[in-house]
Order: sequence, then structure tokens, then C-alpha cells
Amino acid sequence: MAALSALANTHYSDVVMPATEHKQVDEATLVKRSKKNDQRAFEALYRANVGKVYALCLRMTGSVAEAEDCVQEAFIQAWNQLSKFRGDSAFATWMHRIAVNAVLGRMRKSKREQNRLEVVADRTEVPPLTGDEGALRDLSQAIDRLPDGARHVFVLHAVYGYSHDEAANMLGIATGTSKAQVHRARRLLAQQLKQEGFTE
Amino acid sequence: MNNQDDIMRDAARLSQRIQPERDLWPDIEQSLEPQRRRNWTPMLAQAASVVLLVAASSAVTYFAVRDDTPASIAVQPEYVFDQAAFGANHNLGPGFTDARSGLASKLDTQLEKLSPEQRADVEENLMMIRNAIDQINAELAEDPDNAYLQTLLLKTYREELAVMRKVSDLTQNVMSRNDI
Repeated sequence: MAALSALANTHYSDVVMPATEHKQVDEATLVKRSKKNDQRAFEALYRANVGKVYALCLRMTGSVAEAEDCVQEAFIQAWNQLSKFRGDSAFATWMHRIAVNAVLGRMRKSKREQNRLEVVADRTEVPPLTGDEGALRDLSQAIDRLPDGARHVFVLHAVYGYSHDEAANMLGIATGTSKAQVHRARRLLAQQLKQEGFTE
Repeated sequence: MNNQDDIMRDAARLSQRIQPERDLWPDIEQSLEPQRRRNWTPMLAQAASVVLLVAASSAVTYFAVRDDTPASIAVQPEYVFDQAAFGANHNLGPGFTDARSGLASKLDTQLEKLSPEQRADVEENLMMIRNAIDQINAELAEDPDNAYLQTLLLKTYREELAVMRKVSDLTQNVMSRNDI
């Protein structure tokens, strides 16, 4: 009877997807379950990938509030578009693309370019926590202050290692523009860090 | 190594995984709606049913019409258009498009040669097929990579073409008979 009682009190999701099992269930299985409307499986995908997606959004926007909004938007979009994910790439790679679109879409929508000075002021007062230490933290904050175009390309290419072709494709720009923006970003960053005395 | 090279090297060492300061899942979870697939599955089933119904209906029409006509009207082999293919935007191949527009342009004239009942059957079938095509195209606009929808659309176009070819064949035979 005790066993039956315990079974009766066991939630369906605990049987299907116990929390301790999340790491052991492979990504393909989680995607498959999510496509069948299993939100617990999708939550497991979220937990496994939110760090990567948030980092990208934070580095691209330079703002905690905007990064959080973009992460939420990206995962909601991912849920809505799951049927299009065929597993040709890793889920994290697919999420990166969606996150980049979320960032770009959000910036277009909110006309962030016009509000940029205000946002920069907010950001400068409270730099986002990135986990970077020492010189890397200084570089991280300098990246936040780059103009949007240069920052987006620099983050994708220099931080995440996407090729110029890939970065350009994700951002909807020409490969040559990507190269030019990275060159510009490097120059601006060097100037910033030199002015602030972080480098020789 | 110059300063800009140091920047590139350091940039590659920046954290690529940062946990948000608060749990964002509850807000995300609240916004999740049932998968779209589940929503439009009944519509797909409906479209598939329409195709089957059309196939059955056009077959019935064909055999009914054939029974009324002399045995000299041979049953045409099923038309298979190997050139039918989807382009980048699900456009039909040129061979298919040409055959379709050629038959469609003659259809009105050919329909006049059928009895009112036969004409009504054909027109009803074509209307159902074209409604199905519109529905599937609308779904494909939302989900362009859906292989099932692509197959369904191609099948439905083939049904339309088959009905028009059958009308064309029937009326040609009628003309031959009258001429004699």
C-alpha cells in the first residue's frame, strides 16, 4: 500500500523527467520531448543553455535588463520554432542564431540607437557582472562601450569565434562590413584601454 | 605583438557562459503556448482529407463520365510529371507550370462540351483542390521547410492537373465522335 500511495503522489513530470535526470538525458531526446509539448524537457534545455545565451545577449547589448529581455524572447521564439530545428547543428548554436535575431529585433523595435546615450550612462554606472577578472573585466567593459555595429561583430567574431562569413550572415551584413567593423572595434578598444591606462 | 593583437587574444578568453542574476524561466514558461504544430495539425489533417476526398471524387467523376461515353474512350495512364519540382520558394517547375497553364486556358471551352452534371462535378472538384492549394500554400508561408506540406502541395497540384487532363481527354474524344 505504501508503494501505491507513493506512486499516487508522484507527479507525471517526476516520472518522465526527474530533475536529477536532466544532465543524463541527451539533447536530442530533450528536443524531441519539447516538440511534443513537454515543457519540462524544454526547461531542461533552457537550464543547459541559458548561460551561453545570456552571455551572448549581455555582450551584444551591454545591458542586464536588455539581455534578460532578449533571453526570454529568444527562448520563447525557440519554443515556437522548435519544429524547424532538425538537429543539424547543436541546440546551443541554433539558440545563438535566435538570440542574435532577438537582440537585433529588439534594438530595431525600441529604436535603441536614439536612446543609446542614456543606456550607456546607465551601463557605465553599474557594469554587468560577467565573471571576467582583472584585465579581462576592463576589456569586457570597453566592449560594452563600442558602437552597436562594431560591438556586435566583435562579440561574434572575436569572443565567440564565428568566422566573418558566419557573423555577417547572422547579422545580415556583408562579409567585408564584418571585417571592417572588427578592425574598427580593435582600434577603438585599443584607444579606450590606452586612455584609461589599462595597457601600455 | 601589438596592442590590437592582445585585444583579440584576450577577447577569446572572455567568459562565454554567464548565468543571469535571476531565474528567467518562470517568465518564459508563462509565455509558452502549445506548440504550433499541435494547433495546425487538424488543419493539415483537413487538407490531407481534402486531397483524399478530391482524389476519390475525381476518380468517381472520371469513371461515371467514362461509363456514359463509348468504349472507344481509352483510359489514359496516370500522368506523372517528372519535371514537377519545387524551386527555392516552392515554385513549380517550368514543365509543370506550362502544362498547368495550357490546360487551364482551354478548360472553360472544354467544360462547355460536358453535360451540366458532369461540368458541375468537375468544377466542384477543381474548387476543392484549389482551396486545398491555397490552404497548404498559406501554411507553407509560415513553415517553408515543412517536407510534409511540400509533398502535400505537390500531390494536390498533381490532382488538379490530372482532373484538367481528364477533362481535356474526354472532350477531345467527344469531338472526334461528333466529327465522325
